[in-house]
Amino acid sequence: MASNSKPATRKAAIVGGNRIPFARSNSTYAQASNQDMLTATLDGLVARFGLQGAEVGEVVAGAVLKHARDFNLTRESVLGSKLAPSTPAYDVQQACGTGLEAAILVANKIALGQIESGIAGGVDTTSDAPLAVGDDLRRVLISLNNATSLQDRLKALARIRPGMIAPEIPRNSEPRTGLAMGEHAQLTAHEWEIGREEQDELTVRSHQNMAAAYEQGFFDDLVTPFLGLSRDQNLRPDSSLEKLAKLKPVFGRALPEGAEATMTAGNSTPLTDGASAVLLASDEWAAERGLPVLAHLVDAQTAAVDYVHGGEGLLMAPVYAVPRMLARNGLSLQDFDFYEIHEAFASTVLATMKAWEDPAYCKEKLGLDAPLGSIDRAKLNVHGSSLAAGHPFAATGGRIVASLAKTLHRAGPGKRGLISICAAGGQGVVAVLES
Amino acid sequence: MATTVLDQPPNMAALFAKAALTARGRGGDLPDTRLARTGVTVDGGNLAGYARVCGFPLTGALPATYPHVLTFGLQMALMSDRAFPLALPGLVHVRNGIDVVRPIGAAESLDLEVWAERFATHPSGATVDLCASVTSGGEEVWRGRSTYLARGAKAPAGAPESDVTVDVGTLERSVATWRIADDAGRRYAKVSGDVNPIHLSGLTAKAFGFKRAIAHGMWVKARVLGALANRLPESSTIDVGFRKPLFLPSTVTLATAQAGGGWDAAVRNATSGTEHLVGTIRPR
Repeated sequence: MASNSKPATRKAAIVGGNRIPFARSNSTYAQASNQDMLTATLDGLVARFGLQGAEVGEVVAGAVLKHARDFNLTRESVLGSKLAPSTPAYDVQQACGTGLEAAILVANKIALGQIESGIAGGVDTTSDAPLAVGDDLRRVLISLNNATSLQDRLKALARIRPGMIAPEIPRNSEPRTGLAMGEHAQLTAHEWEIGREEQDELTVRSHQNMAAAYEQGFFDDLVTPFLGLSRDQNLRPDSSLEKLAKLKPVFGRALPEGAEATMTAGNSTPLTDGASAVLLASDEWAAERGLPVLAHLVDAQTAAVDYVHGGEGLLMAPVYAVPRMLARNGLSLQDFDFYEIHEAFASTVLATMKAWEDPAYCKEKLGLDAPLGSIDRAKLNVHGSSLAAGHPFAATGGRIVASLAKTLHRAGPGKRGLISICAAGGQGVVAVLES
Repeated sequence: MATTVLDQPPNMAALFAKAALTARGRGGDLPDTRLARTGVTVDGGNLAGYARVCGFPLTGALPATYPHVLTFGLQMALMSDRAFPLALPGLVHVRNGIDVVRPIGAAESLDLEVWAERFATHPSGATVDLCASVTSGGEEVWRGRSTYLARGAKAPAGAPESDVTVDVGTLERSVATWRIADDAGRRYAKVSGDVNPIHLSGLTAKAFGFKRAIAHGMWVKARVLGALANRLPESSTIDVGFRKPLFLPSTVTLATAQAGGGWDAAVRNATSGTEHLVGTIRPR
């Protein structure tokens, strides 16, 4: 091979990750902006892997709730970080799939030999959220801005009415259906007959698994304290079925009459602030710097469903994405040592697994001859997931990729892990990692 | 039959005032008059406002309901004329049918014609159909039929039975929830020119016997089409029945189901389930 020709495709290595502890909304990070949190997270990663002043191939990150001024959020964060200012960066946004999609994009460029290293990340705050002026006021202000004469300006100003002043607060609801994501998830839970108790059980396990992981020091090289917080604020090591059983359902107004509402503030993820980042590279780049290779990103897949008029659940797209990825890799659902199914809601994880077990659904909706089957619950979200950690939308993918890569690495070579993340807009992003 | 061609779009507020002042003492058969305008072009700013208020994407083609707005002024002129047998205040829009023969480009020059027909007997009064035809280059591209009910009115002897029933299949799955603000009527009035006081405020609605302002039926219909915008057949027949008034503000749900190569749809109150609109959309 000539020295200047491109190498054949190779698998991108996951070197490690860093995140700040996730904080509950309007709490410890209330004064921190997305840029503050992403910069701090990048700097933690830089410190961990000796990248001061280093130029990496590309930094890819995003936020779901973004201020208009943050049009170049990732590049601005890089410029404020200890990475070389010559490091290029760009923003991505795929709702809750943002963080994993960013990792896939970086991995793909590494696989193609276009870059040797890259950082994928994500950040979100629901505390320092962008408020928009209402559409009516916005139009007046735009015409005011465009007005060239005093008379035109006064004319524009005269159109302002007191009722226009109220700001528009970003809502966690689907624009086309007007329903909050939790309402959609409750409809799916009802359709799949997911009970309250199994949701609460999954929730307790998430808290217990994550608390145990913290106790064992699992997160010591994955999390850097920020603004006085050293653990995820939402984590409740003493969470129990009894306590969760006392919570009242918070969703269910879209349910048919008489149907039981089963989703509470306990078995749903809370609004959270936080950021995460993952360092990816070619094996050679890692070796040159004496850095470890925890795992490789083997393959990835996205899918989307028609949740508006098509009758599919809003968060069911990963159910479709996984079998497509498995088929391409000649894998079965049972060929994994660990599963990371993002806990947007406990019911989402349970409905996802139930759908893969359902022969009629797998045949009719997924076009499979046989159901994908069940997965061993002991291999699911072994170090806790979003119910315990919280879910700063775009930061969740990076949290999962880094945790799973480390889990696989510790289990030894040749171990395989599956990531499944659901996202707003009826989308899903999934990936396979291998140590 | 006489066709009168108007040079200018009619002034709607003046027509409403005239219709209210001359409401008494009307009767007789439908006038044998047609009102028309020729060479009408669409105002881009108005079209953008209409699309925004109704939830249509702004494209180079007119939303299926937009020609109704273009022809509505002629309807009003016809109905407010003393020769029209029914009093305009109190007329209730109970059914609306639209034939989209082909999509209409936003830059086309259009000829409009409006007439009344089918004075019919209804169990609680009489109905009349206000029909509209839109042609482009001599070819008919759009037809509309608005059926209005006049409670307590009497159709002439020998009039046919009115037909206001729109049948839809079962519509169990609600696909969207809309919170409709109390200024929905004023917003639609601004872009459609339909300044009927029953839509504008609680106070003006009370004057006409409604407890609160009610949403324009044609706005609700437009929102249904807006929600399905990219999934509609290019040429279609869209038939909706307006059931109970949609009081403002309200929270309603949209239910849709695929049917006959098109869609069935219903808009209902989110809590009581009261049906405001049921309709069918079919390819032509």
